[in-house]
Amino acid sequence: MEKVERLIRTWVATQQEVQVTETVAEISGGRITLLNVVQGLGEYLISDEGEMRSKGVSFLSAVLKKSSPDSFSRQAVRVLMTFYCGKLDDTETIVPSLQGLVTLVTLPRFTSSDALEVAKALFTHVKMRALTVHPRYAAFSILDTLVSNHRESLKSMGKEFLTGYLNIADGEKDPRNLFLAFSINRVLLIEFDISSHVESFFDVTFCYFPITFRPPPDDPYGITPEQLKEKLLGCLSATPAFGRLGIDLFIEKLTAGSPVTKRDALKALQVCLPVYGSGTAEMSSKKLWNCLRLEIFQPVDVETEDSALLATQVLVKTIYEGQDVQVDGVEGFARAITQECLEILKQPEKSQARHAIKTICALLSTTPSVSRYVIAKAIPHFIGLFQNPDEIANRDSVVSHLVDICEALRESPQVTNGEGDLASLKDETLGVFVVGLKAFSSRRSALRGLRSMVETQGLITGEELSFIVHSVNEVILDEEDDEETSDALVKLLASISTASAQHVTGGALPLLFIALPDEAPSRDSPIEISKYRRVLQLLARLCIQPTLFETLVIRLSAKLDILFSRAVDAEDTEPIAAYAHSLLQTLSRVLAVKVKENHVDIPKYLDLLVIPLYNLFVLSALRRPDGIATNERLLVVAGKVISFVVRVLFTRKQEELVNGLSALYQGGVTDTITTGHKKLPADAKFTPFKVSWELTPSLANLISLLAAAVLQLRQEVGVPPHGDSMNEHFKRALVWSVNVAQNTLQRDSMLHMVASRVNKRIVDLGPFIDELLPEFWKEYIKNNQLPATTRKNALTAWLWVVKGLLVRGDPRALSLTENLFDLFSDEAINWDAASSIGKIAAATEVLTKTNYVVTKFLAVQKFTNELLPRLMKNAQVSSDPVVQTAYLVGLSSLMRVVHKATYAHEMPTLMPLLLRGLSLPDNEIRVGVIDTLIATTDPNSKDNELVSEYASSLITVMLKNAKVKDMVSPAVRVSALRYIGILPSAVRYDILHPQKATVIRELSTCLDDPRRVVRDEAVYARTKW
Amino acid sequence: MNEIYNPNPTILKTAGKRGTRASSGLWDLDEGLAGGCGLCDDHSVSESIDQNEVFDLVRFITDPEHKHMTLEELMVVSAPQCSVSNETNRVLIEFTPTVPHCGMSTVIGLTLRVRLLRALPNRFKVDIRVKPGSHQSENELNKQLNDKERVAAALENPALLIVLEECLESAQNRVRGHAHQ
Repeated sequence: MEKVERLIRTWVATQQEVQVTETVAEISGGRITLLNVVQGLGEYLISDEGEMRSKGVSFLSAVLKKSSPDSFSRQAVRVLMTFYCGKLDDTETIVPSLQGLVTLVTLPRFTSSDALEVAKALFTHVKMRALTVHPRYAAFSILDTLVSNHRESLKSMGKEFLTGYLNIADGEKDPRNLFLAFSINRVLLIEFDISSHVESFFDVTFCYFPITFRPPPDDPYGITPEQLKEKLLGCLSATPAFGRLGIDLFIEKLTAGSPVTKRDALKALQVCLPVYGSGTAEMSSKKLWNCLRLEIFQPVDVETEDSALLATQVLVKTIYEGQDVQVDGVEGFARAITQECLEILKQPEKSQARHAIKTICALLSTTPSVSRYVIAKAIPHFIGLFQNPDEIANRDSVVSHLVDICEALRESPQVTNGEGDLASLKDETLGVFVVGLKAFSSRRSALRGLRSMVETQGLITGEELSFIVHSVNEVILDEEDDEETSDALVKLLASISTASAQHVTGGALPLLFIALPDEAPSRDSPIEISKYRRVLQLLARLCIQPTLFETLVIRLSAKLDILFSRAVDAEDTEPIAAYAHSLLQTLSRVLAVKVKENHVDIPKYLDLLVIPLYNLFVLSALRRPDGIATNERLLVVAGKVISFVVRVLFTRKQEELVNGLSALYQGGVTDTITTGHKKLPADAKFTPFKVSWELTPSLANLISLLAAAVLQLRQEVGVPPHGDSMNEHFKRALVWSVNVAQNTLQRDSMLHMVASRVNKRIVDLGPFIDELLPEFWKEYIKNNQLPATTRKNALTAWLWVVKGLLVRGDPRALSLTENLFDLFSDEAINWDAASSIGKIAAATEVLTKTNYVVTKFLAVQKFTNELLPRLMKNAQVSSDPVVQTAYLVGLSSLMRVVHKATYAHEMPTLMPLLLRGLSLPDNEIRVGVIDTLIATTDPNSKDNELVSEYASSLITVMLKNAKVKDMVSPAVRVSALRYIGILPSAVRYDILHPQKATVIRELSTCLDDPRRVVRDEAVYARTKW
Repeated sequence: MNEIYNPNPTILKTAGKRGTRASSGLWDLDEGLAGGCGLCDDHSVSESIDQNEVFDLVRFITDPEHKHMTLEELMVVSAPQCSVSNETNRVLIEFTPTVPHCGMSTVIGLTLRVRLLRALPNRFKVDIRVKPGSHQSENELNKQLNDKERVAAALENPALLIVLEECLESAQNRVRGHAHQ
């Protein structure tokens, strides 16, 4: 007991948490009771000083809050309750008493009769207006707990409780308190008999609508306006009793409010109308529609318009819910707006018709009877218009409105029979679409319409499908069509083939295949060319499913065979090559889609497509080495086709293939490739690596097809030769690329293979990297006796090896790169050496995970972090200007290829260097530098300090690079103009203002650039300024 | 400006890309492949400004009366209504007001003029006219739109300038979206 008194004394003096905790510990240890605490507080509770009384009660409440709920006996609860209620009428003790009650009412031994007493005491003594936010919150918390735990007994209080509560809730403004109040309101509105207090409740809820509160930036309670709106909406829609009053208020807000208020009101209507009931809804429908119409037909923005349409839907649903009547039985509201919209739709080409059709479509997904009524009125309306000879000019609009209806119906199919069903009007609708197909202007809409009909479940029969395919076939080859019409056409055919594939395979595909010519059209017949291209585009989009794809492969392979054999004797092979290219392109595009969708039928095209392709190319190339089989473009796309298939093969299959290919390319053994196909003539020698260059240099182009397969090999698949000779072989490959390769295709094919193998099989290649590569470096790169071009090619070969290492995070990548710095003073190749740094770090399509390459996370970033500081430092301070420039070149090449995050923190130092880079006489470097600048300039903030600082020099140098008379490369001009276009949104206007006149004057010369792409950028930049 | 001259204009569903940028040539190349894109550094290539380019400049301007619709949709301008002559350095746009009594025609004409003023090189002399027979006070309108001083005076009216800028805002954004599709 003494201890309690001591604790209380200390607490009153200091108000430390410690004493409270100790007291609680004493109580739970059973050494003292709560009663002791009250006794101990005695002198304070009856003190004359208000402050003392307040502190006394506060201490008790604090102890109560900390104690375990089970430590209170029934009697203690009772005593405390009476005690607190008694303290409510004292202005000094009301605040701590409320705090105490907050805890007390949650206790398990707090009974319903206690609840009644607390409620009564609250209503009698608590004057909310006199209290600050926190005690008010306490009062709401108490009521909230009472309402959720002791609802039944509170109901017995009847009116007294409701009036009392309304007094408390009236005039509350704090969002956190309102949050609680709204929760209580909703319970009362739903569960209590509020019939005599409707208006008062209406006042304390609807006065908050719409909620405009915006939380302070660091709101400790974290209540968002959305949460509060949600809660309020719960109250507004709690009872039908609010109906009339509520709707009037919503209408008022809709007519007078801002767009946000309007959206809130519309949202509220959507939630409330179903609760308010069909009677109320119907009574107010006219008034409501007057407002909604305005929002739909003269929309402020799309969101509001959609919301208004949704509200209209809800209104109709509420009115007609449960009514199941025949078409003519639909009376009143729905009938009125349908007629109103159809009246507007008598002029289908006008802008108001757009809104009217949206309304009609909204009505379609309401109730079955309304929907039937709308269908029965609207569809015949459009069919009538379509057939009206006076309206022929507007057929496109008519068809497109009809399509909108069909599409709306597809979304919400109403499966009913009889009048008012789409099925009953199917024939006429189908007729409109099929006729619509014939005219160019309405074709796109008609195709869309047919598609939505095909996609509507159970609407179109098989016979009708073939009728549709037949009608489509009539226009399928019309080359007048634009991209979007073709797109609609393909989508329709795709839908049909999902519904029933045979209609497409049997009906449309043969027509398309027949339309592909056997002979390549000559170069002066562009119409023929665009025709086959269009057909191929359609085929590419249609033949993705396994069965259809197989047909496509067979048909196109046959065409390729014919083309290749014709090309042997042809004089002008380019048109043939272009046609063959389109065929292969089609196959590669479809395969790309199939790979993406993980189709399982791809591997079987090893035998059906890949092997025959090798056969075709090798055979034709031997017959005519300068023919289409060695055409670079053709080989690139054929390589793509091959790589898509090889990629998905299993290890064993890949091994088989690559062994066969090796034999073919190294020794000219053609068995693997030609088994079962046309054999090569016995005397033919296919040795692309050792061809006699005077005769057939282009034969080596075929190495790209070998590379296509090799790049896709899995890590465990080895390529001959195996064993020790492999290392020598790799060096020979590099030398081959320098000395023998005739063009970029040959060189790249070889180097890509090398890089990919180095990456995947590094364990076998130690001697190559550690001994032979340095040897190669000495002999071909360091050696300044050789001509510069040879050395440059050698550099390229060497850097691909390093790339292969870098991607897998091999530390040798960095040490090898060090060698490059030795070349920076060698003027013959120092720029190439410098830009190799960027080339090593650049990502490529060759070394990617999809090609089974070993990659290490952040390897490139680590590489950059090592090199960047060194490049920066030397680009600034190097004593030799030649070396300094080389460092600058290296720096810009590296920055261009890595992510801006790697160097963002260095920008203040980098900026002057980049500006210097812009005056280097190399267009590629300039584009790189400008791209880097674009990447680092955030166009959405005006706080780019650095850019602001350099704004004027940036503008000067960019303008210089933007004008055709100073800069020949259009790529640089485009980049420079793009940068100028970004500046106004990245830098504050007051900084740019002094330059504005100059920029605008200079840009006007750019507007007259000979190249259109440049002009487009100039126009954009000019507008921005 | 509170009077609405044509509350319910006829609209055109914008046709596809046909006619604006025709692709041709023997090869069907993916972009970027073998330098097939428009940025190849072939310095000799020269593409002069044509009718389609001028149309692309003005098609996405919004109508001052119907802020959510473009002049193209409202059939106020179309490619054949723009003509360009690089020899005489003249550009002529004949636009069609949606109704003959349209009081917005001056504003539309003015927006067209301002857009071309900003987006065409200044060697061009630009004529803006209404299509013959499409407006009741055709002559007066044509005179007004091509009178330098009256145009300059109109552009000093801040209220009018705000309207103009609003209409022009979409012109650029959409062109860019279009070109980058």
